[in-house]
Amino acid sequence: MQKKHLALLFLLLCALTFGAVSAQDDGATINIAWPYQLPPDGHFNSYASGVINLGGNNYQDLMEPPFAVYMWSQGVYEPMMAESFGFDDDNNYVITLKDGVTWSDGSPVTSQDVVTSFYTAYLIGASVWNYVDSVEVVDDLTARFVMGAPSPLAEYRILAYQLRPTSVYGTFAERAQPLVEAGAGSGDADFDALLGELTEFRPEQYVAAGPFVMLPENISDANVVLVKNEGGLNADIVKFDRAVVWNGETEAVTPLVSNGELWYATHGFPPATEASFVEAGIDIIRGASYSGPALYVNHSVEPLNRPEVRQALAYAIDREQNGFVSLGESGIANECMCGFSDNLTELWLSEDTLDNLNAYDYDPDMGAEILEGIGFTRGDDGVWVDDQGNRMAFELIFPAEFLDWAAAAENATQQLNDFGFEITARGVQFQQQQQDVYDSNFQLAIRNWGTGSPFPGQSYLEPYNRYNGQGELAGEGIGGGMRFDLNVSYSGGDINVYDVAVQAGEGLDVEAQKVLVEQLAVSYNELLPAIPLWERYGNNPLNREFLDAPASDDPVYNNAGADHFMPYLIMTGGIGPAQ
Amino acid sequence: MATHTPTAPALEAAPVPSFHLLDYLRRFYANYTVRTIFKALVTIWAVITFTFFLIRLMPGNPVEVYVDFLMNQQNMTYDEAYSRAASQFRFDPDASPVTQYVEYMGHLLQGDLGESITSSGTRVIDQIARFLPWTIFSVGLGLLISFTLGATLGTIMAYKRNTFIDHTLSLISSILSAVPNYIWGLMILIIFGVQLRWFNVGELRGTYSPTMTPGFTLEFLGDVLKHAMLPVLVYVTGSIGGWMLNMRNSTIGTLGEDYVGVARARGLTSSRILLAYVGRNASLPMFTLLAINIGFIIGGSVIIEELFVYKGIGSFLYWSISQRDYTSMQGVFLIITISVVVSNLMADLLYSRLDPRVRVSGEK
Amino acid sequence: MTATTYEPTRQRSPHFFDSLFASLGIFGLALRRNRAGMVGFIGLMIYAVWVLIGPYLVPFDDQVRLDQIASPPGSRLVMITRVEDVSRYTSLDDLNGQTVGVLDRSGGETMVEPYEDSGALEVETERFSSGRGVPALLDQLAEGDVDAVVLFSDAAKRYLTPSSSGENDYPGLVVSNAELGRPYILGTDTQGRDILSHIVHGGTTLITTALVAGLMSTLIAVVLGAMAALVGGMVDTIVTAIANLVLTIPSFPLLIVLAALIQLNNPLMLALLIALLSWPVLMRAIRSQVLSLRERDYVEAAFALDLGLRHIILREILPNMMSFVAINFIFAVTRAMYDQVGLIFLGMVPINDYTWGVMLYFGRSRGTLFSPDSASMVLSPVIAIALFQVSMVLFARSLEEMFDPRLRTAK
Repeated sequence: MQKKHLALLFLLLCALTFGAVSAQDDGATINIAWPYQLPPDGHFNSYASGVINLGGNNYQDLMEPPFAVYMWSQGVYEPMMAESFGFDDDNNYVITLKDGVTWSDGSPVTSQDVVTSFYTAYLIGASVWNYVDSVEVVDDLTARFVMGAPSPLAEYRILAYQLRPTSVYGTFAERAQPLVEAGAGSGDADFDALLGELTEFRPEQYVAAGPFVMLPENISDANVVLVKNEGGLNADIVKFDRAVVWNGETEAVTPLVSNGELWYATHGFPPATEASFVEAGIDIIRGASYSGPALYVNHSVEPLNRPEVRQALAYAIDREQNGFVSLGESGIANECMCGFSDNLTELWLSEDTLDNLNAYDYDPDMGAEILEGIGFTRGDDGVWVDDQGNRMAFELIFPAEFLDWAAAAENATQQLNDFGFEITARGVQFQQQQQDVYDSNFQLAIRNWGTGSPFPGQSYLEPYNRYNGQGELAGEGIGGGMRFDLNVSYSGGDINVYDVAVQAGEGLDVEAQKVLVEQLAVSYNELLPAIPLWERYGNNPLNREFLDAPASDDPVYNNAGADHFMPYLIMTGGIGPAQ
Repeated sequence: MATHTPTAPALEAAPVPSFHLLDYLRRFYANYTVRTIFKALVTIWAVITFTFFLIRLMPGNPVEVYVDFLMNQQNMTYDEAYSRAASQFRFDPDASPVTQYVEYMGHLLQGDLGESITSSGTRVIDQIARFLPWTIFSVGLGLLISFTLGATLGTIMAYKRNTFIDHTLSLISSILSAVPNYIWGLMILIIFGVQLRWFNVGELRGTYSPTMTPGFTLEFLGDVLKHAMLPVLVYVTGSIGGWMLNMRNSTIGTLGEDYVGVARARGLTSSRILLAYVGRNASLPMFTLLAINIGFIIGGSVIIEELFVYKGIGSFLYWSISQRDYTSMQGVFLIITISVVVSNLMADLLYSRLDPRVRVSGEK
Repeated sequence: MTATTYEPTRQRSPHFFDSLFASLGIFGLALRRNRAGMVGFIGLMIYAVWVLIGPYLVPFDDQVRLDQIASPPGSRLVMITRVEDVSRYTSLDDLNGQTVGVLDRSGGETMVEPYEDSGALEVETERFSSGRGVPALLDQLAEGDVDAVVLFSDAAKRYLTPSSSGENDYPGLVVSNAELGRPYILGTDTQGRDILSHIVHGGTTLITTALVAGLMSTLIAVVLGAMAALVGGMVDTIVTAIANLVLTIPSFPLLIVLAALIQLNNPLMLALLIALLSWPVLMRAIRSQVLSLRERDYVEAAFALDLGLRHIILREILPNMMSFVAINFIFAVTRAMYDQVGLIFLGMVPINDYTWGVMLYFGRSRGTLFSPDSASMVLSPVIAIALFQVSMVLFARSLEEMFDPRLRTAK
């Protein structure tokens, strides 16, 4: 009865599977991956959330390239959409575009597009407008930014901005311009109305100036196929005709990498998975990310507010071990313990300062000595008790979905318990864990230190701004985050670390900024408001059987953040099909 | 349905005819169908209301989640990300939930599920229409196969009780059901897709090939079946063991019944006994379980849909929960609630069909 | 079998079981009559011993070993020497007076030391970054600075066996003794710890919590289901309404909210939570079956005789559904085990108590299933849970015999 039908169905299924022949590709293809949302959630308005941009700082560059890419190792900009750029004598910023680039709808790229991009961006609160007063057309290809607050950081933000077409967003920019001049913002009826229109705006398709363009019919559950935009930037240099971007999170893309269908992935893979890639002969690219997990403490919890206790914690954790068990060879212990990446210390800190920073090398005896020095004793069960009689028993929360942070939490818990703390570790849904930290609703927590910016001052905004008082801003009413007093006294005097962190990104005098960064680094190193564990390096599989890419130690792989190396390599022809 | 006499003993105390409104309502309520539908509506309303407040109690909100996304993926600073996120969603964290609730119910009564929070201007009904059919198709097909196959094998096991076949199938089915389906999914992918290379993992991804134009062509249907194959296989692997063992044990309960013995004594053919006596009675609880499972088809399976990038309502629901997109979530939960309640209702009605002795509750 | 005369020793075990069964009465009889039930019974006994006594026999391993991460079952320490010394150094005793290179397992240091029985470490240490110390040691061995290296087999394997490209990094070195130290029967986890010890220790809480949860859930389902069907009226309406509510209220958001509000440090509360969320499905199935059974002659007779609800449920109704209830109890127990894994994600279960659930959580999130070498971390707890379910299913065969006497002859 039904069984007969079932059998038929099975036969049909099998026949279809094994009979199906995939369409043969013509031209060179690159297989990459980025998770995206499908329509109707996903759309082509790159000013609204849910846009299918394949990574705002990543593969979106292939369609909407930035003006220039910052080369992190050399500290110089490499022009992309821009031909030339720089501050003029009045400290205003001038960008001249490359000639002969056209949008995928056929219209040429002009300086009007620059104006459009930035005025439209005003509506969605782009931070560039903190530094810029207005943007003007100078000639067909040249645009001038009248700067209110010029700084290297402002330059970086402008150059990283991705160009959008006037043909699509022109009307929004036109209507936004008077709002910018009036200084209108959220709360003004006109502003809110225009913003509402912008976020609900759904262009028919992407209009791209980059070497690739996304066509609506090429979007499926499994992948998006980007095709060549013949008039786009570097279309003649790029070595691929199509880019297949596979959808899916880590667990979903892993089998694709293993069996050679996906050649490069930016996902963070757990070490055991990585080992299986290596076994299969797939190369691993380890680019720095300039951030990683840190052990945050709630400074309103006695005695975690005492710097000595945090120093003891730092001595008690073997960070190399913690990094290795969490992320294998991509979890590299933080050395400077000064609040930003070791990859930036040489550029920003003097040799003297660097030598004087305490590295907090693993030394549990030293940790014990420090604790004993401030009156701690070990109880009968081996757990430390402070001079007030508090047992050192705490709860540690970590985001359960963040694979490497979960492992870091597990290992740190074990190490601290061996040292004589009594830590209970709980995985918490990541949205809640973040909220708990914002709301001061924690004792110990794993959150990030550092950020993907070449300017160290930005890294300090994570502990001093994001995790210290953001609950209030978010309207949750409690506020406080880790409740660290931003007015600190350290060996170099008294400073407000938040103010200094902000100032470190202002003005054009880099030497003055370095002095501020040194203050931040030394005070962080002494007080350890949060204890950095290790820096997260990428472990991106790169299948050299299919791809011809620079060797694994090439400095280009140091490019992070908005300047990620993969779109850069694709766009500049640095990567091609294997011979 | 026709077998029920519409009476409600507790309320029939005063059978005096009267034209009072209350009394009229009482008589109206006493009608079985009306009462059943009324109860279902009350359940649906209660769940919607509870869910409405529940999801807004979840820690975090759409803005905070999007801030986190912008900071992690685009390396924005907190202030930058916050002003961006706040500009994107017309979502006011300080708005009174009660006002929102009244507003929502007002729209709902007009059949309007509202707009997604995280994708401004996208209607929730469009989102559901985009993703739901694929889930109904894949999970439904999986359920159909595993139930029919499982029930058949379960009956065989019961009949061959304590024989080699029974023991072997018991062993297999209990192992199948004791391993969660995402493990089966991963193992199928790793062993057959990666190690043995029996298929190209990527090629079978998604709901249909991008080169296909949707339509009622044989080619398209074949492509759809091909893409559903792996998820369906996993659904069947993960659930067939449960159906087999349940059916076996449910049947064993009936095999011992007097009437089966009597039927045997009357010399009825064993196939007739199987169908008319044993199968019918043994499948009663099975159909209840089936009905509940049918209701849950709509929920989909998050992990399997994510693993095979088979974008159905399960992965959409998970996405909207993790984005704290209250309206999208609420829309999906509404559909799930309705389908569970309706399928339970159907199950109740089905009993009386399968077993005429069953009187639906409330009439004794 | 029933002989009372003297028997040779080799036949004593059936006799022993016979008398054991005899003392267990009808339960023993049921076991003896049913081979499969017997197997299940033995399986459960093994689990009981494992869970109760195992932890005292096998110490819990919480030593992080950087050189032994995620290695396959059977891995152990090996001794490596130069090819020409292969017959000279075959056991640790041969190394007396020689220089040995080892990796310090917890600190991540390579160490070269003169071998001494005392194990005193007067050594030059070199801190290696992130487990990259193995080649350094092998280089020293190849250059003759060291006489032998004692390494974990999995760490050595990568360098001593020809890789996929066909090259052997150290052609002059061989394994001279592959059997030093104890083997890790189930391999090691992502922190280099013994999986077997975690399997032994990780069952107790998980199984007891799941048994309690399954029992509570089944009990609630049976009592409420039977009551709803037998009493009917308001009771039925209310019970069904509550069941429908619990079924339809989305459990994931509910658990997220609950996790933010409450913390379950008590396994009993955890079991209760799982039970409270899982009873309605079975309750509905039971209700439907009791609705049918209610109309049977013997039940109607019992009603007529006014034997009381308790008697009717326990004596008339339950025996008929026993095997259905039993299998669903078993499923409830297994499900409760996996539910605990889900609750780890929500922070309801702390990771400190290293149960099979925590192993599964870390094993999966650490991607161990993707490599055959490390898959043991996920598969071990899964197989442990699966075999537990198999034992219960088979054991339930004996219960069938016990609860449904009619079946014994109905074959």
